[in-house]
Amino acid sequence: MLLAPVEYARPSSVAEAVRLLGAHDGARALAGGQTLTNVMKARAAAPDVLVDLNGLAELRAISRTSDGGLELGAMATLTEVTRSSEVAETRPIIAQVASQIADLQVRNRGTVGGNICSNDPTNHLPPLMSALGATMTILGADGERAVPAVDFFLGVYTTAVAPGELLTKITLPATHDRRDGFASVTIGKDGTCIVNAAASVHDGQAAIALGCVAAVPVLLASASDEDAVRSAVRGAKLDPPSDVHASAEYRLHLAEVVAVRAVAEAST
Amino acid sequence: MTEPVRGTRISVDVNGEIHERDVEARRLLVHFLRDDLDLTGTHVGCDTGNCGACTVIVDGVAVKSCMMLAVQADGASVETVEGLAGNGELHPLQQAFSSFHALQCGYCTPGMLMSAKHLLDNNPEPTEGEIRRAIQGNICRCTGYVNIVEAIAATARGEVSG
Amino acid sequence: MTETAVTPAQPVTVDEQELAPGFIGQNVARKEDRRLVEGQGVFVDDVKRHGMAYVHFVRSPYAHAAIAGIDVSRALELDGVYGTLIGEEVAAETEPFFQIAPPPAGDLKDYALAVGRVRHVGEPVVAVAAATRELARDAAELVEVDYEPLEVVLDPETAADSGRPQLHDEVPNNTIWQGNFDYGDYDAALAEADKVVRIKRLHFHRFSSTPLETSGAVVEYNRGTGQWTIHSNNQFPGFAIIMMAPALKVGMDKLRLVSQDIGGGFGNKICTHVQLVAMCLLARKLNRAVNWTEWRTDQHTANSHGNERVFLDVEVPVKADGTLLGFKSRMIDDCGAYTRYEPLGCIIWAQVTPGCYRWRHVRVDFTQVCTNKSPCGPNRGYSRMQHLWFTERIIDIVAQELELDPVEIRKRNYIRADEMPYETPNGCVYDSGDYARCLDEALKLIDHDSIEARRRDAESRGKLLGVGIGSTLDSGTNNFGQSTLVNPELQFSGNNEVATVKLDIFGEIVVTLGTTPQGQSHETTAAQVVADILQVSPDDVNVRAGHDSYWNSHAGFSGTYASQFAVTGLGAVKGATDMLADQIRKIGAAILGAESTDEVELAGGFVRRKDNHEAALPFMACGAIVNANNAVLPLELRDVTLNCRYVYVPPHQMPDKERKYGNLTLTYATQIHACVVEVDPETGVYEIVDYGAVDDCGIRINPQIVEGQVQGATAQAIGAATHETFLYDEDGNLLTPNFYDYHVPHALDMPALKTAYVESASPFTPLGAKGMGEGGGAGLSAVASALQDALRASGRPIVSDSSNPYNRVWELLRDPEQSRRLVDVEDR
Ligand SMILES: Cc1cc2nc3c(=O)[nH]c(=O)nc-3n(C[C@H](O)[C@H](O)[C@H](O)COP(=O)(O)OP(=O)(O)OC[C@H]3O[C@@H](n4cnc5c(N)ncnc54)[C@H](O)[C@@H]3O)c2cc1C
Ligand code: FES
Ligand code: FES
Repeated sequence: MLLAPVEYARPSSVAEAVRLLGAHDGARALAGGQTLTNVMKARAAAPDVLVDLNGLAELRAISRTSDGGLELGAMATLTEVTRSSEVAETRPIIAQVASQIADLQVRNRGTVGGNICSNDPTNHLPPLMSALGATMTILGADGERAVPAVDFFLGVYTTAVAPGELLTKITLPATHDRRDGFASVTIGKDGTCIVNAAASVHDGQAAIALGCVAAVPVLLASASDEDAVRSAVRGAKLDPPSDVHASAEYRLHLAEVVAVRAVAEAST
Repeated sequence: MTEPVRGTRISVDVNGEIHERDVEARRLLVHFLRDDLDLTGTHVGCDTGNCGACTVIVDGVAVKSCMMLAVQADGASVETVEGLAGNGELHPLQQAFSSFHALQCGYCTPGMLMSAKHLLDNNPEPTEGEIRRAIQGNICRCTGYVNIVEAIAATARGEVSG
Repeated sequence: MTETAVTPAQPVTVDEQELAPGFIGQNVARKEDRRLVEGQGVFVDDVKRHGMAYVHFVRSPYAHAAIAGIDVSRALELDGVYGTLIGEEVAAETEPFFQIAPPPAGDLKDYALAVGRVRHVGEPVVAVAAATRELARDAAELVEVDYEPLEVVLDPETAADSGRPQLHDEVPNNTIWQGNFDYGDYDAALAEADKVVRIKRLHFHRFSSTPLETSGAVVEYNRGTGQWTIHSNNQFPGFAIIMMAPALKVGMDKLRLVSQDIGGGFGNKICTHVQLVAMCLLARKLNRAVNWTEWRTDQHTANSHGNERVFLDVEVPVKADGTLLGFKSRMIDDCGAYTRYEPLGCIIWAQVTPGCYRWRHVRVDFTQVCTNKSPCGPNRGYSRMQHLWFTERIIDIVAQELELDPVEIRKRNYIRADEMPYETPNGCVYDSGDYARCLDEALKLIDHDSIEARRRDAESRGKLLGVGIGSTLDSGTNNFGQSTLVNPELQFSGNNEVATVKLDIFGEIVVTLGTTPQGQSHETTAAQVVADILQVSPDDVNVRAGHDSYWNSHAGFSGTYASQFAVTGLGAVKGATDMLADQIRKIGAAILGAESTDEVELAGGFVRRKDNHEAALPFMACGAIVNANNAVLPLELRDVTLNCRYVYVPPHQMPDKERKYGNLTLTYATQIHACVVEVDPETGVYEIVDYGAVDDCGIRINPQIVEGQVQGATAQAIGAATHETFLYDEDGNLLTPNFYDYHVPHALDMPALKTAYVESASPFTPLGAKGMGEGGGAGLSAVASALQDALRASGRPIVSDSSNPYNRVWELLRDPEQSRRLVDVEDR
């Protein structure tokens, strides 16, 4: 419950934030703090410097791109996403999924960027962003780069955001009649995911991303009929972890079920 | 604070009163309220951000004060349970919690009240489902929530006055 | 999400009792509430003292290890660190805690900190005190402990096997206690049976009520008097003092235990005497007030867990018509690493040996073992809940296997209302109750008549619907004489609770209680009882908040535990108030010139002549006369103090140690619950879609408060039945050490609860009330029962575990045969 000593800075511009992150070894971005603070309470992580991004309004914007896509500022809170008319108009699934995450207080502070940067395998947004084909914009001392979701998630709690770098925004392509779906099995109602799946369907073809079954979201492509989805999941040779909530076998079984359900939701 | 500091002086408006204190950067808002300001109505029930006993309203938004640093509240205005009643009059939610027996040990109550207040401030006529969703982040080990939900609903219906 | 009606505003009244005019039986608003809703309660961590040190425990990362060395020097070097305490100091300065078990287990050494060896993950090894909370933790990280890991013992079923490592040198085969219970004539029952149902193994899992407020203390030491003031949330100070004083080698009066508001206890705050002793030693060593705040993870890893129990080789002789004759089983109870309240759990279950049923022939071989897990202790429904779940599982398994209706088999075998008071096979006396009627009411709540239609509707939506019943008892007002059935040398029996009621100079009525409420509303119900006797309003009654063992309202068994306040606590309040009323009448009679106290009465804050209401003396005058103007009193009234202390002692007798026979508690409240679940057959995910709880706790002093207890107990039982479980990995690490992984029900998880009640007054108690509040864990039984019913159509699996997360339900669906191998029916 008690944090180790740490230094704190609250930059007033993105450039300054990047400079601070680069200038101190062991500096960490502090977004909503809904994961980071807890990890620090357990002293499982003890960054030397916290660079608080909460003063950076420019990272909070949610807007539509010129080609009909959607841009989510990394610091947009989950609550803001659930209320955004831009999200509702373009990718309503994001609002729907965000509203299932944790609880109101956590959503009020937790951010989209923090959710995907923490890449906890049970998180909701990594598979969703993967299935939706999001692109992450990462800013570092050497400038900006765009990383597609497939290359973004690298391992449990690790992503393409390197030390000294910042995720600034998440860009979603225009839908062009794409329909999205999400399904999960959680511990209790809207609790932590045991397994989840996001799907995006276009023209009978589904992009499916499975969560909680590997260190990173597992992305599959399949025709959108049930048999095809089932065989795609089986063909993925998943080797999910066993833990106190679910055996590997159970997860393997659920992966197929939620994949089918997510695709079905997207197809209706 | 554009350069990293180990601690600093902060100024926080709590229930309408400005408090200035030196705090370490690592101090959690909940401990700032409880230990530094002696506002012990805000409670701690877990160490993972699950229980909501520490819920306060920061700049109009319900947050769990165990996942926010005190330095992050610099310049903010914070509402805690101690500020709910005004001029000796209970807030209608406080009255309703008592009338409907929505508290037993009372440990979850401050956080629960703040979540409920945040709900009614933003949605004066919630459905039962919306009430349950609004307090999902507040664990109560005593009541089974039945009377809490009813107390909030009755307050929304204007059936209790403070 | 349940949008439908929750509990009706008015409970379904089954028994319209003619209420005596007065406050007993009314929903009087709680006196506790105002301070609590304003955030002005005083919980232990709210207590502060000048220069107070914060204490952080260094805890064992190993489940079993020898401590080869401890180095605190780096911690002591840190600025702001006041000092440390290690096991060696504790061993030098204290005696090991008193043990309830007979030897050899009774010889085990349990100290306030680990001495030489750690026996579970999270066990406190070193205490570090510093100027701030954060600093204490920083310093704790600098303490170096050299551990030599030892092989761990985790499985209770093999813990006693030869060749297993021993946790305590003094305890051979890790066996804390073993005893046989033999009632009726089991062999004859077996011979008489038409069918014998055998169940190889049933398992009741580990969990606890996990009160939202964790444990804690602020301890001050007075060097001049050698006395400690211990602000804590310990819920059974009577027991704590008995444990602590001999350990600290001081008289009991050197320990002053104080508490005001306690954030839930449920039994889990009974055994904190261990940490309190460490705090006492630190306060004395540092000559400074010390604060200990247990964190959530500490509570889960090292506070008391509910006992885990396995029921092996269960055998149930049954007649062709469904009459159950008895049961036999070998039970193994796992009490974790240390025996603090244990092995009392080995006997407490016997309070409800036959559950709600009339079977008379019982044979139980009961063993308790220790393992490298968190110590166990009382947990809401302590030890009876495990046993009642076992009896309910038997009923449902027998019903399924013999194709009997679960409602009919219960009604056929329930003890009947006309048999009350009913003596059970082991000599307990069930005071009153009408189980069949409660069941009818519970079935009405869930509209049982429509179940088959709802089942078909669920099927049409691809779901499996099941209905289940849980019938339990909440036995209250312990006869501590039962402890002699586990250890004949113990000198405990009976029970008591105390209250004082006084009338002060300005007419203020002041009540002090010996109890330590944690949400049970004692201030309110005590005021109701006082108000009725003194004929005033509860608003006129000042009940002191909390407990202080230095008040003259502390008795040997003082505390709040084991469903008894309505009997013992209010019995004491009633006794003291009756005495006070009598004294007020005496003063009134003397001053008002009446011949005897029969000619005066109490009304509206006055004592007045019955024949002339104008001749009246206000209470204030009585208080003033006795306390400050007593020369006006006739000499024979000089012993009137208007300060009355009464100790309620229930009418218990010594049980028969040889036969393990006798009445072990005074009252038996009934809970009959009915539950409807819908299971998703593809995933094992299920939802409770309807729930009815009927409670009969005799005369209800305050119906709203009773109902609150019913709702809370039900929520805890549902939580335990679904997701709450303390599971360990093979190294003895707790896998659910926080609310993230130990998922307790939140508002979206809870179904709409419907409640109703029956009032069967207890013939044995001062107010006809029964202890209640623990509940018997009826929800655990009802959920297991409903799941088995729902899954019946998918190969009739047997629900054999009290913990049924989705994963387990899915396993039952996938491979029902595996669970079916647990049962066997022999046709005679
Ligand atoms: C009780 C509880 C339950 C929860 N349940 C769920 C759940 O069911 N599903 C779910 O998906 N999540 C859940 N969460 C996590 C929640 O969604 C978090 O808010 C989220 O994972 C982290 O977001 P944050 O903004 O708080 O990030 P922080 O905690 O501030 O940061 C998390 C990590 O990401 C890094 N980071 C954050 N933003 C950036 C950035 N812009 N650039 C670079 N690095 C960055 C930080 O340095 C840190 O390492 C839960 C949290 C709690 C407390
Ligand atoms: S103490 Fe903040 S959520 Fe539990
Ligand atoms: S009233 Fe005790 S935790 Fe809610």
